[in-house]
This record gives sequence, structure tokens and C-alpha cells, in this order.
Amino acid sequence: MDNRRPQELRDEELVALCQQGQSEYFNVLVHRHMEKAFRVAFDFSRNTEEAKDLSQEAFLRAFSRIKQFDGRSKFYTWFYRLVVNLCLDYARRKGRVRWQSLDGIVEENPERAELADSSSAPDEQAIAGEAKRRAESTLKSMPDKQRTAFLLRNHQGLSISDIARVMKTTEATVRVYLHRAVAALRQSLVEFV
Amino acid sequence: MSEKKQILESACRDFEEDLVLYYYGEGAEVERQRIGTHIVNCSRCRRFLDDLARVLPQVVQPEPLPQSFWDNYYRETVEKIAARRERVSWWRNFLAPLRAWFIPAFATAAVAVLAVALLFGKGGWNGQAARSRATLPQEILADADQLEFFNSMDVLESLPVLEVLDGAQPETGANRNG
Repeated sequence: MDNRRPQELRDEELVALCQQGQSEYFNVLVHRHMEKAFRVAFDFSRNTEEAKDLSQEAFLRAFSRIKQFDGRSKFYTWFYRLVVNLCLDYARRKGRVRWQSLDGIVEENPERAELADSSSAPDEQAIAGEAKRRAESTLKSMPDKQRTAFLLRNHQGLSISDIARVMKTTEATVRVYLHRAVAALRQSLVEFV
Repeated sequence: MSEKKQILESACRDFEEDLVLYYYGEGAEVERQRIGTHIVNCSRCRRFLDDLARVLPQVVQPEPLPQSFWDNYYRETVEKIAARRERVSWWRNFLAPLRAWFIPAFATAAVAVLAVALLFGKGGWNGQAARSRATLPQEILADADQLEFFNSMDVLESLPVLEVLDGAQPETGANRNG
């Protein structure tokens, strides 16, 4: 290996080292992708503890299957696929996702709630709260694939081609999913903004 | 509120899907220029794009989590991976000396079991079928014989034969016509 620090290596180089038996390099991948993995899982579960469990399970699976990674796609699309599949399984297992309300998150962080209170008038807060509830409700009622495409684009910033790779579908299909999701959100939220 | 819902109109049919991509900064430069030119002259598409710019930021992610959360998350995940690595290497060490003879031995045993099952299984099954028939009551056996008789005949096709068996003359086409 050259003189670069592990943090400076590309994902694929780290994966290659893991595949050669130097599995300690996997920790660098964990550090690099943990936040995004957690965010994806949170988008699906809307629960901090469950998002943590789901994303950590995805890392464990990736670690166990690292030798199966053949380098045809980027590591992060391969890994995102593991996360998304785990999340979809979780959603099916639960029947429906129990969305943790945003109010609940605020309750966990009272200091932040106070800051938010001071920044806007009560009626604005009420409208914003209702808009968020409506957005969550609309997302919840979407078909899984539409929601997945939307969350990966809107929250994770993945490109259409990467989403297509993660979802193992075509870019045209992703565009349709994304358009339908956005149209539904526009329809339900436009009256609040 | 509902009034606003009623006046919500869609963008041009050919552009709406592309406008979503335009909003997200997707698409080739040529395509983006084409949309850019279109929205200058199309108020419907411009309104659609404005709506997206106002609506989509409402679908927010949760607040950023403190660094301590990520420190704990990383530590926990690394510990779980270490435990998994430990377990895998324990199994590997345990199975390593067995591997040389374990697979051939297992295959031989499986073949032997299969051969025994084939040798004795078939006879045993037939014997069991014969025994179960012998234990059936006589009434059921008689009914079963009748069933076999009816099964051997194609009832609908052989109605005249049935009538002969019943003692009646088979109805011919001439009789039917008088």
C-alpha cells in the first residue's frame, strides 16, 4: 500500500483491502457512510433507535458479504441497496411504518424547541407543524418505490442514475417514481406555502 | 385553503416530469437550457417550479444530531463488527482441521442414507398400502368397487349401454322420430 492514510483511500480501495483479509479497514467505511446510512434508515422508520439498529445491521451485512462485492457498481450504491432493502423489509414486517412525529423529536431536544419557539410566531409554528404532518402523511401513503426514490433524491441527494442502481431499475422508471412523489407532495402541501 | 386547492394546475404535460429533474439539478445541459427557455414563456410551468421550490423544503429531515450520538454510533457499530469477525474466525478455526475429511465423510453418509431409504422405503410403502386396505370395512370396499366400475365407463358417452344393463331398449334415432 502507498503512504496515504486509510481515510484518504477511496471506497473501492478500502473494499479491496477488506477482501484481502485486512478487515480493519472496514471501520473507515463505517465512519464514512454511517451518517447517510442512518439518515436513510430514519427516513423509513422515523424512529432513532430503530434507524440505528437498521443501519448498523446494514453495516454488518456489508461486512459479511464484502467478498461478494464485485466492483461493477460503486460501493455506496451497493451499500445503499443493502440499507434500502433492510428498510423495506422492516416496513413490510411492521405492516405500516410507525412514524415518529416531529413533535416527538422536538420533545427529545427541549433546548432546540425553545430556540425554534423564539424564532417564529405561534400561528406560523402551527401552520409549519401542520405542513410537516401533512408531508409525513403524504409520504407514508405513497407506494414504497415512489417514497424510496423521493427520499434518496430529496434527502440523500443521490443522482437519478445512482437511485436506479440502488433500486435495480431503469432511470426512466426512477424519473416516473420521482415525478409522482413530487406531484403528490405538491398537491397536499401547496396550500400551506 | 380549498379554494387554493381548486386552482392548482399542472405544468405542461411534456415538461412536468422534466421540471422535477430541473428542480433537482439533473439532466444534460442542453436539456436544462431547453427547459429554461420554456419556463420564461410559460407561466404554468413557472408556477409549478415555484411550488416545488416552496413545497419540497417543507419535507425536511430531522434536526442534526449531536457529535456524541455519532461517536457512540461508530463505537457500537465497530464493536458489533468486531464481535462478528470474532465469531467467524472462531468457526473457521473450529472447522479448519475438520474440513479435510468432513465433506467427503458427510457426502458418503448422505449417499448411504439415500440408498437405504430407496431400498427399504418402497417395499414398506406398498406393504403399508395393502395393510390399510385390509383394515377397511366391507361396506366401504363394496362402494369402492362400484366406484371403480363407474370410473371404468365413460358414463355420458355410453348411455345406451347403461339402458341395456337396466333392461330397457336403447332408444334409437328411428324410435325417437316415431
